[in-house]
Amino acid sequence: MSAGVGVDLENLWIRFGDFVAVRDANVNINGGDFFSFLGPSGCGKTTILRAVSGFLEPSEGKVLIGGKDMRGIGPNKRPTALIFQNLALFPLMKVWENITFSLEISGASAKERRKRADELLDMIALPDQGDKLPSELSGGQRQRVAIARALCAEPDVLLLDEPLSALDLKLRQHMRTELREIQKRVGITFIYITHDQGEALTMSDNIAVMRAGVIDQIADGKTIYNDPNTAFAASFVGENNVFRGKIKQIMGNEALISTNRSGELVARISTANQGKLAVGDDAMMFIRPEAFAIAADGVSGDHFVTARVNHEEFEGNVFNIFTEGDGGKEIKVSLPNLGQSFDDHTGQNITLEYETRNAVLVPAGELAAE
Amino acid sequence: MNNSFLRVSIWVYLVIFFLYLLGPLVIMSVTAFNSSAFPRMTPWECLTFQWFGELFQDQRILNGIKNSLIIGAGTVILSVAMGLAGALMLTQIWPKLRATYYTIIIAPILIPGVVLGISTLVFWDRINRMLGLGADSFLSNGIFLTVIGQSTFIASYCMLVLVARLQRYDVALTEAALDLGATHAQAFRKILLPFMRPAIASAAVLAFLASFENYNTTTFTFGEYPTLTIELAQKVRYGITPAISALAFIIVALTVFFALLNEAKLKRQELVAAARKSATVEELAGKIKLPSFFAGNMAAVLLVVFAVATITVVGTATAYNPGQCIANVKEQKRVEAEQRIQELRKQREEQRKKREAEEVEQGGAQQSTPKPSNNSGFGNVFAPNTLGGDAEEESSDTETPPSNNGGFGGVFDPNSLQTDQ
Amino acid sequence: MPGFLKEFFSRNGIGMGAAILGLVLFWTIGLIILPQLSMLDFSFRPNLPPPEIGGPKDVYTLENYKYLIYGPEGGSQSYNAVDLRVFFRTLLAAVCVTIFNLILCYPIAYYLGQSKGNHIRIFAIMLIIPYWINEILRAFALRIIFGETGVLNTLFVGLGIWDTPFDFIRNDIALYAGLGYAYILLMIFPMYNVIESLDKNQIEAARDLGAPWWRIHWRVVIPYAKPGISSGCTMVFMLSAGALAAPQILGGPSSLWFTQLIYQQFNDNNDWPQGAAYAIVLLVTCILFVLAMMRLFKVNMGDIGK
Repeated sequence: MSAGVGVDLENLWIRFGDFVAVRDANVNINGGDFFSFLGPSGCGKTTILRAVSGFLEPSEGKVLIGGKDMRGIGPNKRPTALIFQNLALFPLMKVWENITFSLEISGASAKERRKRADELLDMIALPDQGDKLPSELSGGQRQRVAIARALCAEPDVLLLDEPLSALDLKLRQHMRTELREIQKRVGITFIYITHDQGEALTMSDNIAVMRAGVIDQIADGKTIYNDPNTAFAASFVGENNVFRGKIKQIMGNEALISTNRSGELVARISTANQGKLAVGDDAMMFIRPEAFAIAADGVSGDHFVTARVNHEEFEGNVFNIFTEGDGGKEIKVSLPNLGQSFDDHTGQNITLEYETRNAVLVPAGELAAE
Repeated sequence: MNNSFLRVSIWVYLVIFFLYLLGPLVIMSVTAFNSSAFPRMTPWECLTFQWFGELFQDQRILNGIKNSLIIGAGTVILSVAMGLAGALMLTQIWPKLRATYYTIIIAPILIPGVVLGISTLVFWDRINRMLGLGADSFLSNGIFLTVIGQSTFIASYCMLVLVARLQRYDVALTEAALDLGATHAQAFRKILLPFMRPAIASAAVLAFLASFENYNTTTFTFGEYPTLTIELAQKVRYGITPAISALAFIIVALTVFFALLNEAKLKRQELVAAARKSATVEELAGKIKLPSFFAGNMAAVLLVVFAVATITVVGTATAYNPGQCIANVKEQKRVEAEQRIQELRKQREEQRKKREAEEVEQGGAQQSTPKPSNNSGFGNVFAPNTLGGDAEEESSDTETPPSNNGGFGGVFDPNSLQTDQ
Repeated sequence: MPGFLKEFFSRNGIGMGAAILGLVLFWTIGLIILPQLSMLDFSFRPNLPPPEIGGPKDVYTLENYKYLIYGPEGGSQSYNAVDLRVFFRTLLAAVCVTIFNLILCYPIAYYLGQSKGNHIRIFAIMLIIPYWINEILRAFALRIIFGETGVLNTLFVGLGIWDTPFDFIRNDIALYAGLGYAYILLMIFPMYNVIESLDKNQIEAARDLGAPWWRIHWRVVIPYAKPGISSGCTMVFMLSAGALAAPQILGGPSSLWFTQLIYQQFNDNNDWPQGAAYAIVLLVTCILFVLAMMRLFKVNMGDIGK
């Protein structure tokens, strides 16, 4: 039980005309958590954020902040602060005026505001930049100003709508750690929207994976990565190789699948689906590229896959092998570079080996788009 | 070769085009300084400033300016407000209504101003009657009707100016303000309004100018409050004087002045922005070295030239007295007129001599003609200022009466015949 | 609809939303739609003294429209030849002014749109300044130039090109020059806006392919600039047909503009319904004419007023 204010969504539906943007969402976000909504663009995650911040009224269901129903309460009355995707810094105000806008609204004196702005500028490591205009700052600096402006309002919940998407890769990675540190320091609830699974995994306590208005899975990063509920979650978070087939036999938490191309393989049924799958069901098995190892030639069995190598590439930390796979999709194998020598297998058949716990079985379903 | 020919012809065309555009204004301005009572550039008589004095003594013009300013202020407020509301509505209206709505608010630009004036007059007259108010009620007041009538279409212009800027506005800014605790009114006042300020200023200037120069609509609605434009139109329609040129000159000068001022300001903003961009942090915190006002700013230089010229002209005007010149011109005119009369006399004399000579030559052969060329009235010809036509008329007059004075009296009059029987 | 209103108010707040909606409704309904309908209604009524309005004599009638076509009842002619001739002459003259302006302004708009540099700004200012000067004064300026002892006549007589002053005003040359002069900016700016966005490479490419300059304009520039051209033409036509100041000041004594007839009905004859009927005829004819032209040249309404 953490100190911050929690957010709960109860049977939340949001419709625009005939279009259903959010379908029956139920989420409990603990106070003080860093919670991410992860999904491709158009999946409804921004809509949920707007419902929490008060720009949208839900069509059905409730948004509770700190246990209080927020229906009919406008965005300016909610204890939330939103960091917009494009940051929405006021272009005609100086940096310090931007940061202390919430104080200006509550009628604080200019001196007070200036003092608070300097404190916050120190916190975000931008001292003496208060007199610039937002357009005179760099992307990362603007980012931090937006965070300071939101924090200045002393919200119970900070909402972040893909705030890092405009930054370049290096800066993005740097800001991830910084955001996480700020969150730990201020100790309030962060709700973070992103389509970048790397951001979600590195920063979040918990993640909700969303697809077309539906929440597929809510769990911490490790669980989402290792034990996905659905084919979509498995294919969207991280790289994954898919094997389609029918369940031939169920042995406790494991199952034998007759795949379309690679013969009969064994896999672990994902936790959420245990007891729900039956013999004869269409299913999908996912194995991560790094979960394969190259086996000796000629071995075979229910955790060996034999395929022809299309091409290979050397990426530095890993060596990638692409072999013919299921339905036109290649199987990717990533071998860690530990100083060993890599043989050229192009055009040859190789046999790949995996451990059963690394092969996850879920019901057949929609895959994430490439 | 072909290319250079084309370039030359483009420049020739540009020169002709701008002559057509600006020539009339220049000529009109120049006529304000000519002492000729009819506004003309040639013949040049005397440099004078008397028309400006006359202008400022014209009570109707001054009253017109006052009315124009009142109506202009009202129109600016009403049409900028309606234009802004219309633009805001356009950006968030229900998509199915959008096209219809746009057609409605853009239509007043295309509706002839005469029609707008009439419809305003007719509609508010009807409202007035429905409410049972008298002819002197607020709703039939000329200022009210004119502001309403002008705003109908000026708001459309304002809307177009404002919507162009509004389209570049990020709605997230308003949402950010709301999110930080501002009310809708505060977000509007602190975020949207400052963003729109340049466009609102342009719209206000545009609205004022459009109101100030409007004639077609105002001519139906002004009632007891003629604007400057209405007064000008009355004057121009019933006789033109250089005092109007003087007013035109003032307006042209003011327009050029403000155009240059605006241009110089814009240029300076550009330069300042460029300087800020390249300034370092310390410079920003303290003072940035700004480029001087004139560096690289053509318009500013022109502005100063313009100001100096104005001061010179005004200075000359107070010191200069064209009385002597005007007297000279008057004298010259008198002399010219006299000369013309002399010439005329001379011609007459020659004609007479010629005729006499002919008569002498032909002798009595011509005497039987009834032409009273020798009657006593002939002497009038020698009187100054009498033209040949008069003499001829006189002679024909003396000829006609006898036809009615015959001894038969009214015998042949059909009316008298009837009454006799 | 209530859904739309609800969203509107939640987006703008109750107070701001009401202010916006109120102003928009006042403008669109109170200032645009109702007055036009009121004028339409009025044009179908007889001309009555104020006490009789709303009385038994206040019935709908076509009299005012009949008057335009047949003239006064019991008149000597079977048609109102005078007013009809003025009406058609106004339309024809407005078309001529529009075409004249188009031909005059196209090269300028093209040049301004396709050139770069500081002098373009100066040209723009020079274009705008005359537009800021009062309409009456602009007409007055032309009257000084075209008058019997005006600059042009002095010049031409002085040079011996013709020996008696030419009456520009009686021959309507002053009027057409004045109308053209008044609306130059409205023709240039829409065209300029469109041509400015035309990619210079398109012209270069056409020139590369060996197209002569007139073909480049006919096949590349004009089709591209069509929205601007139609926008400019529409405005110039509507404003010329509805002009009042220029005809009053620059028109010859014998040639009337249709708006002058409307003005006379209102101010001299005091026959408002008749004036309203004439105004309706002018408005409807102009709109129909513009729509027909737009159909003919395949232009959309949305392109107008850009």
